[in-house]
Amino acid sequence: MNGLPELGTRPVLEARGLSMHFGSFCALDSADFCLYAGRALALVGESGSGKSTCAKLLTHVLSASAGHIFHAGRDVTKLMGRKAVLDYRAAVQMVFQDPFAALNPAHTVDHHLTRPLALHRPDLSAAQRRDAVADLLRAVDLDPAITRHKYPHEMSGGQRQRVNLARALAVNPSVVIADEPTSMLDVSIRLSVLDTFRDLKRERGIAMLYITHDIATARYVAEETAVIFRGRIVERGPTAQVIDNPRHPYTRLLLAAVPEVGSPFGAGNSLASLAAQVRESCEAPGTLREVTPGHWVRFAA
Amino acid sequence: MTEPILCVRDLCVDYATPNGLSRAVKNVTFDISAGEVLGLAGESGSGKSTVAFAIARLHRPPAFITGGSITLAGTDVLALKDRDLRAWRWRDLSVVLQSAMNALNPVLRVSAQFADMFKAHGIRDKADIRARTGELLQMVGIKADRMDDYPHQFSGGMRQRIVIAMALALRPKLVVMDEPTTALDVVVQRELLEEVAALRHKLGFAVLFITHDLALMSQFCDRVGVMLRGQLIELSTPTAMISGPQQDYTRRLWASIPPLHPKPGETLVRMKETPQ
Repeated sequence: MNGLPELGTRPVLEARGLSMHFGSFCALDSADFCLYAGRALALVGESGSGKSTCAKLLTHVLSASAGHIFHAGRDVTKLMGRKAVLDYRAAVQMVFQDPFAALNPAHTVDHHLTRPLALHRPDLSAAQRRDAVADLLRAVDLDPAITRHKYPHEMSGGQRQRVNLARALAVNPSVVIADEPTSMLDVSIRLSVLDTFRDLKRERGIAMLYITHDIATARYVAEETAVIFRGRIVERGPTAQVIDNPRHPYTRLLLAAVPEVGSPFGAGNSLASLAAQVRESCEAPGTLREVTPGHWVRFAA
Repeated sequence: MTEPILCVRDLCVDYATPNGLSRAVKNVTFDISAGEVLGLAGESGSGKSTVAFAIARLHRPPAFITGGSITLAGTDVLALKDRDLRAWRWRDLSVVLQSAMNALNPVLRVSAQFADMFKAHGIRDKADIRARTGELLQMVGIKADRMDDYPHQFSGGMRQRIVIAMALALRPKLVVMDEPTTALDVVVQRELLEEVAALRHKLGFAVLFITHDLALMSQFCDRVGVMLRGQLIELSTPTAMISGPQQDYTRRLWASIPPLHPKPGETLVRMKETPQ
């Protein structure tokens, strides 16, 4: 695919050896990854694999037990003072899984978008704010005239998720973390919502972390994919490589579980026993090795 | 073809709104044979869940069944009185919902919730209840000795298994599953549905499976129906529907599924959402 932004020498956001322990439980074990401007990294894994812990660390909802986070070249692992935290959170925005819960049911779309503008861009006049809201709505493929005065309950899930994206974009973030943004939407509309995420990240040079359990959608948003299992990244590389030439058994299991048209259950393709085997075989930490340029796989020893 | 176990004829369901009645289900007719898995697919708001709720008589105002008939194993479902309805549910028909894992009471042990269900259907012997509970849990791959744990001690997938075990406890003829795996991740979803598929061969129950995921439906169901704005617009086997969809909408619905390995030049359809 052409027209990809050049890989800058410096990532916008970088995690180095990022780890999170809850008591004796290790939710995230020494994760290394980089997010680049205009590109997305898909973080794929099952429930409890550490995907959302990762998002919480990057947004400073949780403090890492070990490792470092760098933003625009600065170490932001520990932020001192309220202003530093607020500035960082403006730069690193989130879009959440549940488009119903993320919007206040008592407020209009206009309110949801005007507030972040008023807080983070106090230089704008009221008229400029109105224009900015209209621009944001158009950017996410919503018609400002129709949408602006709607309440969340008057919109569908996909439209609400578009508003959530517009809200995140309102403060001109350099990083957007999207945690399962389409998993609560109908399969039939996921593509069109993901198109919007992909286009905006390219147009606005946003570095995106796309968190999902649905590896089939990664190809439509993310240039790079990292597969995470029990807190450890087990495979990482260009998305097409990871999906078309998976090397780690867990990646293969994830791919085999994706619902596929025209392959009925019980035709010798039972997954249950394979799943049990894979989960057992992935107990040891192992080490990541580069199998082809940019494609890393965790091996047992 | 075996005798239909469920006959739905000209079913109409209306919602009372401030602007008058709004018809959510329009003259829907279909049968399910004994032991068959029938899928109903459609987008949010297409009426698929309303059909499922009507069949289980779970619809509540402002929804009203305004026409048609539902017969399950010879019983006129719409004529059941409240008392008969309580006995009928779970014995003849059971329901597994999307957030069924949240249907478990968080402050009661799993064993107590099974006991409640058995007692409501006249099974009172404590030893018998514990033995049956253990068997049911084992049937869905959960160790019997975990029956005295609380719901929060199980993962989402395991809680969903517990609910399925409970739904099968009285050997119903039909299990209605409304998006039973939507909240689970793909590997767990696949394991769970493979288990349901194996169990229905063993126990012989029929399934009405509601989902918005056509690919999944084509893997799991014997026949699939597509709903659009309250109407059942197409009903056939997955193979027939994939190779030759009768309706343009059905074709576009299939083409909107993001494929894992897109073929070069393949055009994917971007569906527009139905305005609310």
